[in-house]
Amino acid sequence: MADSSTDFLKGTLDLMVLKTLSWAPTHGYGIARWIEQCTDDVLQVEEGSLYPALHKLEERGLIVAEWGVTEHNRRAKFYRLTTAGKKQLAASRDYWARFAGAVFKVLETAPGTR
Amino acid sequence: MWRRYLHFWGPRAEADVDDELAFHIEMRARDYMARGLSAADARRAATRRLGDLDAARAECIAITARRERRMTRAQLIDAFVHDVRYAVRTLGRQKGWTVVAIATLALGIGANTAVFSVVNALVLNPLPYPNADRVAMVYLEPTEGNSTGMRVFVAPQPRVVRLWKEHARSFEALEPFRASDRAMRTSDGTSSTVRAAFVLPSFASFTGARPMMGRAFTDVDLAEGGRVALLSEPFWRSRFGADSAVIGKAITLDREMYTVIGIMPPSYRLPRLSETVSDVWLPLDVREEGLGLSVIARLRPNVTPAVAASELDSVYARSALAKDDHGDFKAKLSLPSQLVDFRDSLVMLSAAVALVLLIACGNVAHLLLARTAARQRELAVRAVLGASRTRIVRQLLTESLLLGAAGCVGGLLVGWVGLNALVALRPDSLPELAAAHIDGATLAVTAGLAALTSLAVGALGALHALRHSAHDALKAGTLGLSQSRRQRRLRSLLVVSEMAVSTVLLVGATLLVRSIAHLQSIDPGFEPRGLYAIQVALPVDSYATRAARRAFIGQLAERIRSAPGVAAVTVAAGAPPSRNWMIGALQVDGQPAPATGATAFVDYNGVDANYFRVMGIPLLEGTTLTDTSASSRQGLVNAGFVRKHWPGQPAVGRRFRVVYDGKEEWNTIVGVVGDAFTGGLTAEAGTPMVYVKSTDLFEPAVIIRAAAGADPVPGIRSLITQADPALAPPTISNVENAMQRSVAGPRFTMVLLVAFTVLALVLAAIGLYGVMAFAVAQQTREIGIRIALGATQTGIARSVLLRGVVLACVGAGLGLLGARWGTKVLEHMLYGVGRFDAASFAIGALVLLGAAVLACLVPMRRAVSVDPLIAIRAD
Repeated sequence: MADSSTDFLKGTLDLMVLKTLSWAPTHGYGIARWIEQCTDDVLQVEEGSLYPALHKLEERGLIVAEWGVTEHNRRAKFYRLTTAGKKQLAASRDYWARFAGAVFKVLETAPGTR
Repeated sequence: MWRRYLHFWGPRAEADVDDELAFHIEMRARDYMARGLSAADARRAATRRLGDLDAARAECIAITARRERRMTRAQLIDAFVHDVRYAVRTLGRQKGWTVVAIATLALGIGANTAVFSVVNALVLNPLPYPNADRVAMVYLEPTEGNSTGMRVFVAPQPRVVRLWKEHARSFEALEPFRASDRAMRTSDGTSSTVRAAFVLPSFASFTGARPMMGRAFTDVDLAEGGRVALLSEPFWRSRFGADSAVIGKAITLDREMYTVIGIMPPSYRLPRLSETVSDVWLPLDVREEGLGLSVIARLRPNVTPAVAASELDSVYARSALAKDDHGDFKAKLSLPSQLVDFRDSLVMLSAAVALVLLIACGNVAHLLLARTAARQRELAVRAVLGASRTRIVRQLLTESLLLGAAGCVGGLLVGWVGLNALVALRPDSLPELAAAHIDGATLAVTAGLAALTSLAVGALGALHALRHSAHDALKAGTLGLSQSRRQRRLRSLLVVSEMAVSTVLLVGATLLVRSIAHLQSIDPGFEPRGLYAIQVALPVDSYATRAARRAFIGQLAERIRSAPGVAAVTVAAGAPPSRNWMIGALQVDGQPAPATGATAFVDYNGVDANYFRVMGIPLLEGTTLTDTSASSRQGLVNAGFVRKHWPGQPAVGRRFRVVYDGKEEWNTIVGVVGDAFTGGLTAEAGTPMVYVKSTDLFEPAVIIRAAAGADPVPGIRSLITQADPALAPPTISNVENAMQRSVAGPRFTMVLLVAFTVLALVLAAIGLYGVMAFAVAQQTREIGIRIALGATQTGIARSVLLRGVVLACVGAGLGLLGARWGTKVLEHMLYGVGRFDAASFAIGALVLLGAAVLACLVPMRRAVSVDPLIAIRAD
């Protein structure tokens, strides 16, 4: 089950990162922890792909990074959502909602009803 | 430097990624530890959880690098814009400084722009024809025996040109032409001179020009007798009011009727060297023998002028003509640029303006150094605030580039004004100067010079700024001590170089000034004042034989003799300033006969008995011509002739002849006259010359001496019109003015060099002033202490002056050495002064020292007036 959950996650990782950052700027670890906590550790972020994803988002101008200091006084790279990122998040959420709804419909439909 | 800047991001991208990932593992491990794992286990677990760390790292780095490369580009542009804005602000803050720097650059660059546009028009790009790089003038040169000291062009005879055209394979086109004046009758019965040019029908395709209206010549025109004419566009506009109805109408030139068949654009033109503009074009018939022709040719690709010339020679040598003709000539091809008389002067002036630019650069370098010094604190503060060295250097370079750009614009302006002045002041002997203009090439060269200048100057300033770390500058106040010494050395070096370069120019200019002074103080050996030379163009058709021409001129001279205001009249082969030569080798009594066919040149004039009296040339020995019959074999020689052949001995009674075909008769010398500069003031003094009776002259000149205070010109003009109303108005020149004009070319060169030298000297003096003023400002405190300790004002003044003079002396010394070598370019431009003329060298050095002393005066005054109390307290 873990495998399928992570595969499934790959397509939605960007969306979740953007969503996470929509609350407050944070660092990569913060994003990973947030997603884990939100989903009661059901979804474990595949950390190997989190950072490339972050960098790609940065490259696309959806998020920006700057170096800051954590509450433990440790230097860390903080990501922040840009205006473009906010727009992208809204668009993706709509798309995702429609997609998820469609998938759900398929799963709920009984074979004989057609 | 730029490379370093581009790589700047590389290492940091990797470090950032590593840092980010390390932070993640650290945080995760901290979590695990909170759940009870040992530190080592927590770390292992965290690392495992991250998965393939290397792959993630590599991917992140790749993305970041890609993004940052893109960003760097954007940032560079951004930084450049920022640098420029900042530079504009800084330069704007010190307006005086900026204006001086830009003006200096503009003057230096402008002088180069002006001279380059002349070089470009006259030397680099003299012909407007297609494939101009393969176009050459073709003429004959005597193989040996050219004793004139000038380049001698022999125009090939039509039969030779026909031979060449038929057999030579080196040419795409071989275009003979001839230019001569014609008298045009106008409707009101008066005549005016038009400049006519005779060309072949193929000349149109040679020039690539098409008729603006009507048609060009065809071979049919020639076959039908060639009574057709083309008008040049400017002539058509000025004389026929650009009336298109002129086509098909007839015009009368020297009594011949020609039908106008077309209007040609200005690109249909002869090479500039032979004729500036032609008014009327007539078909050339190379089947007719007669006067020699000028030839311009386009070589086939990859054929060198030397190869083409030797082909022409062998074509000629194989022909039947070679057996019959006399004379020993060989074909020569010259690129038109090589034929520009002004070429030597241009080379010299180009060098001079380059030196001026060098001095201007030196001055701007000074200014930048002084400013860098003053800005040391600002730069240091910027460095401490995180500006990298690269960034500061870039900033300084941007500033100097900006100065360069402004200097470029200013230079173009100065160049444009200078060029217009130059063209307006051009002497009559350089009509082709009018073609000089500022074009794309000039713009490119100006921009290139400006870029080069500002980079060189900026690099010097930047290097200098780099050497001093920010730390030093902040610590040492406005200027570190060691640094000030190094700066001072650099500035001294600059100012010494400027002084040296100025000295070279000063010596050169002085040499030219002295040379011109010599020319103008020459006793011409005759009395040019009140002398007029009259040249009447006799059409060959109406005055076919030499005898007829001579007879007409003789009768004309008789009528002029009684004209009002005329004191005396004589007829001669040539009127001053002009030289005539007999072709052949001179043989004097007692010498063996020279080989026939030699193409030596003997200066001569064909004269009447009263020539010497009219001209005011003293008779030193014997008499003038006494036998005035056509068969007279009497002759006179000048003193230079006697000096050369029979020094210290009487010459009267001896004989000479000029041998060409061996059949010449001897002339017996009846008198010796003084040396006269009848060939113009630039001719060599005392060149041997012979005078014989003026028979058989093709284009004789009438020379008259006017009665004191009288102006005989209008009377003579009307006399000539009465004698033959069809003649074009004669050329009547005032010999005194014409003699002055014979030095106009060299004088023009002199004026230009003097102007550039003055410019150089002023710039160099400003440079010295700057160094001295800066030194005094820096040593205010030291001077104050010295005054406080009892130094006298004289003492202080002396020390300042001494330093300036020492710098100037070192510069002058180096400059004199440089001038010994550099005046080589003047070698052929000097008359009566050697290129090592001690007086010129001394004057050059003295003028420089004088300027140096003047430049030191203000800094000296400032040093003397230092108030010790204020000075010592200042820092």
